[in-house]
Amino acid sequence: MAADDLMSSQKSHRMRKSGPTMRKKSEIDKKKRGVADNKQPNPRAFSVRSVVKAKRLKIRAVEKEQRRIHLPTADRTYGEPPPFVVVVQGPPGVGKSLVIKSLVKHFTHQNVPEVRGPITIVQGKKKRIQFVECPNDINGMIDCAKVADLAILLIDGSYGFEMETFEFLNIMQVHGFPKVMGVLTHLDKFKDVKKLRKTKQRLKHRFWTEIYNGAKLFYLSGLIHGKYSQREVLNLSRFISVIKFHPLSWRTSHPYVLADRLEDVTPPEKVQMDKKCDRNITLYGYLRGCNLKKGMKVHIAGVGDYSLAGVTALPDPCPLPSAAKKKGLRDREKLFYAPMSGIGDLLYDKDAVYININDHLVQYSKTDEENGEPANKGRGKDVGEDLVKSLQNTKYSVDEKLEKTFINLFGKKTSASSERKLEADAQSSPEGSDAESSEESQSDDDVDDHEMDVDSNDGKIKEKTELRGGRLRRKAIFKDEVDDSDEDGDDDDDDDEEAEGAESDGNEDEDGEDESVSDSQDSDEDDVEESEDKVLGNISKWKEPLKEKGRKKNPNLMHIVYGASASSATALINENNEISDDEDFFKPKGEHSKNLGGGLDAGHVNSEDCSKFVNYGNLKNWKEKEVCEDIRDRFTTGDWSKAALRNKNSVAGDEGEDDELYGDFEDLETGEKHNDHENMESGTNEDVEAAERRLKKLALRAKFDAQSDKSELEDEDNDNGDGINPRNSEAKEPGFVDKLKEELEIRKQMNLLELNDLDEDTRIEIEGFRTGTYLRLEIHNVPYEMVDFFDPCHPVLIGGIGFGEDSAGYMQARLKKHRWHKKVLKTRDPIIVSIGWRRYQTIPVYAIEDRNGRHRMLKYTPEHMHCLAMFWGPLVPPNTGFVAFQNLSSNQTGFRITATSVVLEYNHQTHIAKKIKLVGHPCKIKKNTAFIKDMFTSDLEIARFEGSSVRTVSGIRGQVKKAGKNMLDNNAQEGIARCTFEDQIKMSDIVFLRAWTPVEVPQFYNPLTTALQPRDKIWTGMKTFRELRSEHNIPIPVNKDSLYKPIERKTKKFNPLVIPKKLQAELPFASKPKNKPARKRPDLDARRAVVMEPEERKAHAVVQHYKLMHKVKVTKKKAKEQEKRKAYEAEKAKKEVISKKRNREGRRERYRTEDKQKKKMKRGQD
Amino acid sequence: MGKTTYKRLKGSQSFRQRLLLATLSSTPIIIDEIRADDMIPGLLRHEMSLLRLFETVSDDCVVEVNETGTRLKYKPGIIMGGKNLVHSCALTRSMGYYLEPLLVLGLFGKKPLSIRLKGVTDDPKDLSVDTIRNATLHILKRFGVPSEGLDLKIEARGVAPEGGGEVLLTVPNVQSLTAVQWVEEGMVKKIRGWTFSARVSSDFEHSMRFAARGIFNNLLPDVHIFNDHKSGPAAGKSPGYGISLVAETTAGCYISADTAVSCGRTEETGEIDVERRERKPAEDTGVEIASWLLQEIEKGGVVDSTHQGLLFILCALCQQDVSKVRVGTLSNHGVETLRNLKEFLGVTFSFRPDPSTGTVILTCVGSGLINLSRKLS
Repeated sequence: MAADDLMSSQKSHRMRKSGPTMRKKSEIDKKKRGVADNKQPNPRAFSVRSVVKAKRLKIRAVEKEQRRIHLPTADRTYGEPPPFVVVVQGPPGVGKSLVIKSLVKHFTHQNVPEVRGPITIVQGKKKRIQFVECPNDINGMIDCAKVADLAILLIDGSYGFEMETFEFLNIMQVHGFPKVMGVLTHLDKFKDVKKLRKTKQRLKHRFWTEIYNGAKLFYLSGLIHGKYSQREVLNLSRFISVIKFHPLSWRTSHPYVLADRLEDVTPPEKVQMDKKCDRNITLYGYLRGCNLKKGMKVHIAGVGDYSLAGVTALPDPCPLPSAAKKKGLRDREKLFYAPMSGIGDLLYDKDAVYININDHLVQYSKTDEENGEPANKGRGKDVGEDLVKSLQNTKYSVDEKLEKTFINLFGKKTSASSERKLEADAQSSPEGSDAESSEESQSDDDVDDHEMDVDSNDGKIKEKTELRGGRLRRKAIFKDEVDDSDEDGDDDDDDDEEAEGAESDGNEDEDGEDESVSDSQDSDEDDVEESEDKVLGNISKWKEPLKEKGRKKNPNLMHIVYGASASSATALINENNEISDDEDFFKPKGEHSKNLGGGLDAGHVNSEDCSKFVNYGNLKNWKEKEVCEDIRDRFTTGDWSKAALRNKNSVAGDEGEDDELYGDFEDLETGEKHNDHENMESGTNEDVEAAERRLKKLALRAKFDAQSDKSELEDEDNDNGDGINPRNSEAKEPGFVDKLKEELEIRKQMNLLELNDLDEDTRIEIEGFRTGTYLRLEIHNVPYEMVDFFDPCHPVLIGGIGFGEDSAGYMQARLKKHRWHKKVLKTRDPIIVSIGWRRYQTIPVYAIEDRNGRHRMLKYTPEHMHCLAMFWGPLVPPNTGFVAFQNLSSNQTGFRITATSVVLEYNHQTHIAKKIKLVGHPCKIKKNTAFIKDMFTSDLEIARFEGSSVRTVSGIRGQVKKAGKNMLDNNAQEGIARCTFEDQIKMSDIVFLRAWTPVEVPQFYNPLTTALQPRDKIWTGMKTFRELRSEHNIPIPVNKDSLYKPIERKTKKFNPLVIPKKLQAELPFASKPKNKPARKRPDLDARRAVVMEPEERKAHAVVQHYKLMHKVKVTKKKAKEQEKRKAYEAEKAKKEVISKKRNREGRRERYRTEDKQKKKMKRGQD
Repeated sequence: MGKTTYKRLKGSQSFRQRLLLATLSSTPIIIDEIRADDMIPGLLRHEMSLLRLFETVSDDCVVEVNETGTRLKYKPGIIMGGKNLVHSCALTRSMGYYLEPLLVLGLFGKKPLSIRLKGVTDDPKDLSVDTIRNATLHILKRFGVPSEGLDLKIEARGVAPEGGGEVLLTVPNVQSLTAVQWVEEGMVKKIRGWTFSARVSSDFEHSMRFAARGIFNNLLPDVHIFNDHKSGPAAGKSPGYGISLVAETTAGCYISADTAVSCGRTEETGEIDVERRERKPAEDTGVEIASWLLQEIEKGGVVDSTHQGLLFILCALCQQDVSKVRVGTLSNHGVETLRNLKEFLGVTFSFRPDPSTGTVILTCVGSGLINLSRKLS
């Protein structure tokens, strides 16, 4: 009671109902519940005021919406994606290796001694990353830019941006822009916090202008114990891991492999004979881009084009944790794979493999070897351990072996043979003591034990054990695959392996072998299917025999069509009877039916090329009703349900035949397939629709997944909480794009469905190797320099070549000189272009399109404009970008990228023209016709220009008629053309012919072989004119006629006009010439004397006197005036001097004061 | 790059496809031993004519033939297409021989193709122009070829010995072909036919029509056979008549059968057996072709055996998606096509026989060929 009282007396807490605290809390609460705050502070603020404005805004919004939408691209990568390539790039000394080391350390807790070659690490459950350090030379940068999925640009914050960064950015932009992230390092050099902040700000904005506003720039503040701080590395790694990659068009249409391992597999004897012989190499790496088919040609960047001598899919050396089954507790997940860097247990050198195992993991004992069946299966002993032990056991020392051959533990053909030689020598020794046989025995016992190899670091050994799945015959499989890969089929290799096989398991019979083959394939397939398609997840065990059956049958028709291939050789023997079953159905009835039996017979190579299938011989009598009834259901007049059944049956085709044999499976099958992927056949009438619906559902799901990912990303992007994001709503997307996306998704699902139905071999045959597979590419006859000068720090890029891309032709590109490159480019100066996978030197001719569509040649590229560039080289599809360089040397100060460009089209001929002006002089003029010389050099030339228009300087137009050889009197001079003009021309006229002449683009193409020389050496190709001139000290040639000089004109002297007497006489008086010649003697009038009268004389004298007086007066006046003026002038000069002086002083005074004032003001400002 | 590596082939077999695929995949080829042991060695007239046609359509292709014509060196150029092209075909084979590769070639040109072919329009060896017009073009449309600009206009007929026919083919360009899933045959809903007669009485046509209709009467009411009697210059230079039947199914498949009979004099030695067969009355021809059409329908598949090759080629030229088609018994030509496709494009088909219907379902992944010669706008 008391207690209760006590309790009740306690006042309960009263929530606040009002006040700022409460308001804040309620807001937080609302946000948590996801209730949007609809209340606008001023509801009238956003009401429509002006209809026009509202409309405009709406239009703008819609336009923005549309701009956001891209044409969806089909994603044809099925299955596990390859590791993403993260390229770390930066100028030298900025800390690239350290960043990689820190990141690797963060992800794998492993120290990397040095970064050489790609480092693959497992980053998460579903994600792998391959780190590549970009070398400092431009070739490496180009190759890196072509493979990068994400580029981390390291920038020395204390120094600022360097040219390399921008060059790399430009290269990337041209080859499809991957994701880019900037990282500022060396920020600990700033002592002043304010300065640091300012620098960050400045660099960030510069970075943004170059990429896009808001591009991520990361800061690594400084080193702690020689490492970046863990927190910052963690943050960086998070940023790396959330980045989504979008497909780039070039890469999705071309397969490529970034090799993380290179080995020389040339027979050692051959190398010993001739050190400079062409080598056979194998390259290893993940397949990216798109599927790689077997016959494909590849380009090795910096080396050249090669056809693949062999392609083999290897088990993933660095599988995703989900893909790799964990066997024992001691098996640590393999989180990294860097064969060239020297981390992990194996180190691949150029010609040796080093095994590196910690001492405490190994006990150097031989106890296990005694009993044939090592009991270490459960303990999960490393394969590496075994190898080391076997190495201990060998009779020969490692050095000895190395001398004889390079160690090649993993069944490479050449080494296998050499090993066998050794084995043969040591035949007497007990089985367990030999390296090879001990290994073999080990694998014998691991019948179903291919988890073990997952841990081993080497792809090949894994491959080996896995292939050895059930039996000893590992080589057979290997041979099989090799045979598949190279169609030529190296006979000697086969022989070798055959012998080996016989040696290892003489007691095995053929059937057993066959089974083992299929078993291993089955398991492969299962793996693939499981990992690739969740829908097809569990294929139950009972289906295997069915599958087997199906697979055995498939090669049948395939065999008939494509002829005998090595893979199906044994199968054929087993199934001869079955073939005969099928023959009734699938034997073409044509005359050349025996042609189908095998490959192309010699007798039928000349069979007639006729597509029409004519065989009227065995026509049924279709007039009879019974005969017609057979196909009644194929017509709309027949039974529709039966026809539908026909379609239904067809889908279940392959199982249908097995009815009698596997009747009991049939029920199970259909029962299973109700909820499995192949439920099409179990449906009734609308099974097709059902299948479609199911596909749609799948597609929708996939799309939804993608969208949710995207929206997450978007949320992350703009998480500064702006409430409702109008752009984020998917409903606003127009239906068309949605439909397209859905179609693509349905198409993808259909593809998956079809492809997963096939067995692995057929699938690879049909589809090629899928992206994400770890491949071993064998390439023959590579120059020895590639191996000699191999540098793991430089990426080895192997890119597939599409149809027609290995043939050369003229390409036309839209080119623009880079704005940072100081000089314009000159026509016919060689440039180095990086285009597609290739880098090569070529000679472009620049042009511009005139308004009438003519391509006019330009001597130089325009300064700030695009122009056309025509050049010769291996063709690439239109819309491929490329980047041009003139100089690849690293010690150049300027910006090395000279131009960026995009290919518009390609052609086998050029259409560039340049203006030509032919100048001639008349040599004979006849009325309106004139004979022109000096214009042409031969009559043939004239024939070419017949009918073209000419013009004189004064503008009289004319036309070239014909060669005027005969017209000229006996003067058999070539190249004189007869031309007609609209008026008579003068001999002094100059005649022009303006024409266009085609310009030839030089067929020059010089691939860059940078991988065939020491990496620090600068590749030199063809030199430019300028370089050659400066080298040889040749002055620039000057055409003297082109120089400007003062115009000198002689004064023209005309002859006097002579009018014939007769004509003159007829002229009217006004027109008659009146300039009579001067008389020698004065005429009579002048000569006669005049005698005046006395009055007259007086008057004359008076006039004379007056005249004289006036004259004197005027002279006197003149003199006076002159005197006056002189005085005035003197006065004026004097005055002027004085005023000048005064002015100057005044000015001086004024300036002085002004200056003073200015200084004062300045002081005041400061 | 200076040295071109040629693919070496032997014999004259599937000459058209080899040229076509070599051009599409820009693979230079050398064909050796062309009829080296025959009475008439080397390339025949129609083959030379085909080479010339390829030269007309493409730009900068190099054709070298040795003196006896037993060795051919072909370096493909760029397919240009273009308007107002004219080609007179050799009279040894009919237009179908030239049109089949040309249809595919035109799709991947730089400009839409419009070409006038002159020569023999119909003969029993090759597809008749009616069939191409009414069945083949529909197959192309299935692969995403736009129907605008895809046309074949028959301007004049011409039968075997003398020819004189003229057709105008227009083919649009495509960026790439889309993969098909074409396994449903459907049911035949209508049969259409086209008969023609040139320089002979139209009675031939009527009797053929009558006979053919008689065969179909049991099965389908919707049968229409159009006649086309030509006279004057549009009838060509030789007398003859022919028939082409096309059955259309509910699933949009077109099954065809055709033939042509030439009433001209026998000239060439090689055509004796053809001439002998031609002697039978026109009714028999009608019955024969109608029966043949039914036979083709019985075989099943989405196309008839004559079009198998084209179908496979189109499938192989598609984007890198899975195509799935159903055909009846694989014809000789089809099998040869499959081999050529593997040789040139690296496209392998997988086969799934369907014994209940006697058909085969073929699956392949397209080679992803895109029209590279188109200009970037």
